Amino acid sequence: MRDVRMTGRERISRMFERKDQDCIPRMESFWGDTLKRWRTEGMTDDPNVVVGNDFQGLCWSEPFPYPGQDVIIKEDADTVTKRDAWGQINRYWKFREGTPEHVGFPCETKEDWYTNLKPRLLALGPSVNLAGAEWALKIGRRQGRWCHLTGLETFEMTRHLLGDENTMIAMIEDPEYLVDVSRTMTDLVLNDFEYLLANGIEPDGVWIYGDMAYRSGLLCGPPLYRQLVWPDHQRMAQWAHDHGWPFVYHTDGDVNGVIEDYIKAGFDCLQPLEAKARMDVRNLCPDFGDRLAFIGNCDVMVYATNDRVAIEQEVRTKIEAGKATRGYGYHSDHSVPPSVSWETYCFVVDLVDKYGNYD
Amino acid sequence: MDLSQLTEAIKTGNRKAAAQLTQEAIEAQTDPRSILDSMIVGMDDIGARFQRNEVFVPEMLIAARAMKESMFILEPLLIAAGIRPEFTAIIGTVQGDLHDIGKNLVSMMWKGANFNVVDLGTNVSPERFVEAAKEHNPQIIGLSALLTTTMPSMKSTIEQLRAAGLSTTKIIIGGAPITQEFATQIGADAFAPDAASAVEVARHLVGNKAA
Repeated sequence: MRDVRMTGRERISRMFERKDQDCIPRMESFWGDTLKRWRTEGMTDDPNVVVGNDFQGLCWSEPFPYPGQDVIIKEDADTVTKRDAWGQINRYWKFREGTPEHVGFPCETKEDWYTNLKPRLLALGPSVNLAGAEWALKIGRRQGRWCHLTGLETFEMTRHLLGDENTMIAMIEDPEYLVDVSRTMTDLVLNDFEYLLANGIEPDGVWIYGDMAYRSGLLCGPPLYRQLVWPDHQRMAQWAHDHGWPFVYHTDGDVNGVIEDYIKAGFDCLQPLEAKARMDVRNLCPDFGDRLAFIGNCDVMVYATNDRVAIEQEVRTKIEAGKATRGYGYHSDHSVPPSVSWETYCFVVDLVDKYGNYD
Repeated sequence: MDLSQLTEAIKTGNRKAAAQLTQEAIEAQTDPRSILDSMIVGMDDIGARFQRNEVFVPEMLIAARAMKESMFILEPLLIAAGIRPEFTAIIGTVQGDLHDIGKNLVSMMWKGANFNVVDLGTNVSPERFVEAAKEHNPQIIGLSALLTTTMPSMKSTIEQLRAAGLSTTKIIIGGAPITQEFATQIGADAFAPDAASAVEVARHLVGNKAA
């Protein structure tokens, strides 16, 4: 059983300070199709309740250039192609989840940015929902959760606007342009957060989402990251620290090569540590655990085997490595896929109960 | 004519220089095959450095773009001289999966290695792969999947390709959740962990003759 003697808020605050806790903090992410499967297999509760989620997001800062836009361009029996609030054209599945096919982006040229998108974005108001943040804060405080401002990270937003290919080519051929996009988008997210603070929202931390790596390494390489993206990472972390809050960064992929850069930027925690991308808390905690907390890394591909011996080995060894630093929280290494049965996932939660308590 | 500058322009992704040097080489009556080979050397270098983590996706993209622009100039001469890519590869993201970034990078790198690449796009059914294989008679078929949920589509695609009698066509699979173990399990001929490796693996499977 989970040994609960603290609120999630206390537990996580102490995790950041590497102080003793009752048990490791927890959260989880699931694909929608996973939940559909589990409902047919006997899941009755909200899976976040089953996990014992300790975190509460208050907002989602995502400064769209075209708020509310959701225009169908084309559809067939299985898919629908839409232009969204980013101005992106994506092809989605109609009846199931999955990563969309990227068909087009709003910022095809530098001129699109300077003459249309940038002025448009700067003229728009906050992208966050104040009433939603107030409600989430109320719920979070009532449930004793660690409440965080949440938003997108600059590299992710730049890729939303320019597309992967144009973003990466601009990094080499037109870095000033790329930096202008990055600085502007970071400003907009920080403006969103300032707006919430000015209206009485008092969080416990800041959590920024953006993938900058894939299975084999960084998309752009450490030198370009340091030159073009890192300054905005540092600026966001500094903003959080100026308010006395820790800064959590979510990225998928292999970021082993820039952990020291993250620490130098002021990151306090990294999540979710994708195992198939060679991220491993058993190596990271001994090397960086005193300076960086970690959340996640339990391999969903191992869960998907539904092999209990392998799953126990995976969960036990990773939690033990994390607990040794007092700076670790449970999460899988990505989102739990529908190949994991509800019975297997309940077994995972039992393991987190079993191994997640501090003595 | 010394083609090392063209190789260098491809390596550094300098598309203007690459196009200009290609044009100059053509005007100097250089053998089109030699011009092509000098470009392939540049792409090979980028691929090798990518595998050693010395360069990353941006550098690979600009090199591939420089190669593409040079090829646009050179291609009519290659055709006139009867020089065609020695190998054909078909590539697609398997049924149920709309993800295309990895597939596009592999396609780009295969073209850079002078494979004739037929890109079938995303959400490609096993039947469509079989149909395209019969039409183009490829030496290589590349299957991509991003999601764990679409990995089984790779297995059914391979089964249908084999059942259609395409037993000599080599099948390479790749994508975020794919492992060598899975490739072996479903009967793929090879697994490529990234776009640069996909070139090396494809060349190995066709007998190292593409370069």
